[in-house]
Amino acid sequence: MTPATATSDAHPRPPRSVLSADVRFALVTALGLVLFPLLLHPIGGYAGLATQILIVSIATIGFNLLLGYAGMLSYGHAMFYGGGGYVAAILLVRLMPAHPNLWLAALGATVVTALLALAVGALTVRLYGIYFALLTLAFAQMVYFLIEQGKDWTNGDDGIQSIPNALVALGTWNIDLTTPLPAMNLGPFGNLADIKLWYVFAAVMLLIVLLFMRALNRSQFGEVLDAIRENEQRSVFVGFNASAYRLAAFTISGALTGFSGALRALYDGSIGVANAGIDRSGSFVIYAVVGGVQTLFGPVAGTAVIMFLENVLSAVTPAWRLIEGLIFVGVIVFLPRGLSTIFKQRQKNPYAVFKRSLALPTEEPDPLLKPTGEARPGGPTSIIETLKLGKSFGHFAANRDIDFRVDPGELRAVIGPNGAGKTTFFNLIAGTIAPTAGTIRYKGRDISRVSGTSRVHQGIAKAFQTANLYTDQTVRQNCRLAALASIQGAFAPQVFRRSTRLADVDALAERAMSRLELTGVEDVRAGDLSHGDKKRLDIAIALATQPQILLLDEPVAGMSKDEARKTEALIRNLSLEMTVLVIEHDMEMVMGLSDSITVLHQGTVLATGTPAEIQANPRVQEAYLGGHSEAELAH
Amino acid sequence: MDALFQALLGGLVLGLIYVAIAVGLTIIFGTLRLVNFAHGAFYAIGAYVGLVVAERIGLIAGLIAAPIAVAIFALILDRVVLRPFYEKDPTAQLLLTFGIALVVEESLRLIFGATTLQYPLPEFLKGSATLGPIQYPAYRLLFAGGVIVLLLLVWLFIERTNYGLIVRAGIRDRIMVQLLGGNIRRASSIVFAMGAAIAGLVGAAASPIYSVDPSTGFAFLVPSFVVVVVGGLGSFWGAVLGGLLIGELQSVTTLVYAPASQVIIYLCMALVLLFRPQGLLGESEVIRQS
Repeated sequence: MTPATATSDAHPRPPRSVLSADVRFALVTALGLVLFPLLLHPIGGYAGLATQILIVSIATIGFNLLLGYAGMLSYGHAMFYGGGGYVAAILLVRLMPAHPNLWLAALGATVVTALLALAVGALTVRLYGIYFALLTLAFAQMVYFLIEQGKDWTNGDDGIQSIPNALVALGTWNIDLTTPLPAMNLGPFGNLADIKLWYVFAAVMLLIVLLFMRALNRSQFGEVLDAIRENEQRSVFVGFNASAYRLAAFTISGALTGFSGALRALYDGSIGVANAGIDRSGSFVIYAVVGGVQTLFGPVAGTAVIMFLENVLSAVTPAWRLIEGLIFVGVIVFLPRGLSTIFKQRQKNPYAVFKRSLALPTEEPDPLLKPTGEARPGGPTSIIETLKLGKSFGHFAANRDIDFRVDPGELRAVIGPNGAGKTTFFNLIAGTIAPTAGTIRYKGRDISRVSGTSRVHQGIAKAFQTANLYTDQTVRQNCRLAALASIQGAFAPQVFRRSTRLADVDALAERAMSRLELTGVEDVRAGDLSHGDKKRLDIAIALATQPQILLLDEPVAGMSKDEARKTEALIRNLSLEMTVLVIEHDMEMVMGLSDSITVLHQGTVLATGTPAEIQANPRVQEAYLGGHSEAELAH
Repeated sequence: MDALFQALLGGLVLGLIYVAIAVGLTIIFGTLRLVNFAHGAFYAIGAYVGLVVAERIGLIAGLIAAPIAVAIFALILDRVVLRPFYEKDPTAQLLLTFGIALVVEESLRLIFGATTLQYPLPEFLKGSATLGPIQYPAYRLLFAGGVIVLLLLVWLFIERTNYGLIVRAGIRDRIMVQLLGGNIRRASSIVFAMGAAIAGLVGAAASPIYSVDPSTGFAFLVPSFVVVVVGGLGSFWGAVLGGLLIGELQSVTTLVYAPASQVIIYLCMALVLLFRPQGLLGESEVIRQS
């Protein structure tokens, strides 16, 4: 890990040593893992249970990477757990019965399940909710079927009963994990000899996985996953490839679960087809939810509590499964963040108190963002151009035959009566929807089939008609996410590096906020902002993507007169550095602000010209007033 | 040939059960936007209540008691547990209803034991009918006819009543229906109870055909969800088409290559989701909202 090189001067952080925090975390966790089997003993847990819990916890952590971080409920993780177990078992039985090597078996299982997850994920990550859950279930059932029917390899329903005892090769040592620890009587905590080396091995593996997840959670990758879970549409339109992030999460998740399944099969020395079954998939859901999906230790806690109940309570009462179900429902209803939060709330987002400082807005137009050198008004190349562009919904043509051309540096207003197709037109340019006819050219290149995310990276940014924000994050975090996408690209799976170390991201976010005069509210939660600030934040987010064309859909709608005039001035400033397209109903503003105006009417272009030309155009007057005069004529 | 005909009839009976459960899921989704993983539990409760009452009093009494008991259970569930979750995201709903299904399953296991139960038919229903080349149990034909009549009634309810109008409007645009105000709360409760009662009634009626154990709920729920997805969430005729398709597919596959009878329906669903994610008769709007 590199030391923190630079942090922005704008919000200095208290100095801290990241390394020592990591070491502290590791030490505390290790201590807990040492005490765990000892404390389990007096409440009735046998020594092997502790090992099983630790191994299965790794699978739950993997499952929870999807549910807790990416917001995807998989109902098919048994395919990775069981699949990993079978791969490890088959590798040992077929390839190395004489010299069973645990590393090779576990690594092979992890690689195979990662590839399986990559393949299944590629087909599933674009679906949501019940569709995602059912499709993952479907693939899991197919894997189950293959395991059950592939009798030559898997022994079908009988399972593989005698997996060779794999040794852990460390240098020239070959460690047998079934060796017990040295005998030592610990009174009520049992005898140390009850515990085998397997426990130590599982604890070390779990510790490594926890450290990995901790790093991932704080990394740029974790930050973007959070953002995508919270507001996918906004994430796509600040320039993140949401599907790629989901797929990466799915693959890591599958690999961790497969690794866990492999360890479990090796520990048990046998594996049965139930490990790939639907109940196994459901168990991960229960473990993770009971423990708490948005906490690092939640999956471990949930796995421990439920597996303890399954193994200890089942000897006491036949109602243990009912108790388990009631705990599950109780947690969802009363403790939606899970059992582990009884002790400590995750301080993910310490919401700043809503307090607007009296900081004065920056006066001088600072040298913002990428210089758009192409701004040559009247030059031969248009920056954006549409030819016969059309969009039909069924039989209704929202846009048809739109020929449109804007020069670099222009400030073009798009006006028209309600229902004229203005927002549809903007959505076509931004790539929110695909055209049904015609082409869109950006700097001379056809971008009609280019995804919205790619268009953001090419320099087309859009502020939404209704402010579209990460409402649970601060103003600064909103802008930082956009800056991060702009600087790091659509998909940068940095699972170890923290984005807080990127000074250029901070600087870009800072500039975007100050340009929109959001100084003083940087640490306010976006959802708590006033309406006007929300709309300006939306523009700031668009600005932080370093656009060359900015699409503003009714930027001042709903603002007070003062706010509107202020925002108008901000837009005028922005237009000095980039091309701006603006939809607006405020005619006073449109006439005063724009270089030129395009009038849309009934889905197509009625007129284009300077403000003066448009005001004088009789057809425009008719379009705006026509409805009225016809109605009046009817009387 | 006779075997195939037999399998097709079996597929029809099985498919009709799926249709009835799937229609309930769909109308509940339409009015409440609730993806109800506990719907199989309604079927199971109906089957057990029907069984108990039928053994004490008679089959007809069982068929009356089951839907009433299930409807009451559903109303309590709606009021006490589910209501705060209607506006939450689908994942939270899935988790909660999954949990409820677990609790119901385990309660049934505690009360009735883990053994498989089957209601023995009374003498007068034990006969079989001659259908072309084969003999087929009369009760199964009666059952199929009954479910078809039930489905027609549900269809009339959806198409011809004010509550049905709310269901149809809700599938298209739930927020608009809420803005129009009125009795959407009560309508949703009624629709929820009705969807549950259908599952309960079919569960009771099917108990002489398919034996019942505590995991029956899940066993019927998952294929019914497959049916809903294949047919299109929110579409009545989609549920009908999907249910018959899946029932026949399963039944015919059992005849041809029995071990594949489960996996075939998942394969079918995966293909539909990959190539036509809104389902065979679904509208593309619905999938985006759920």
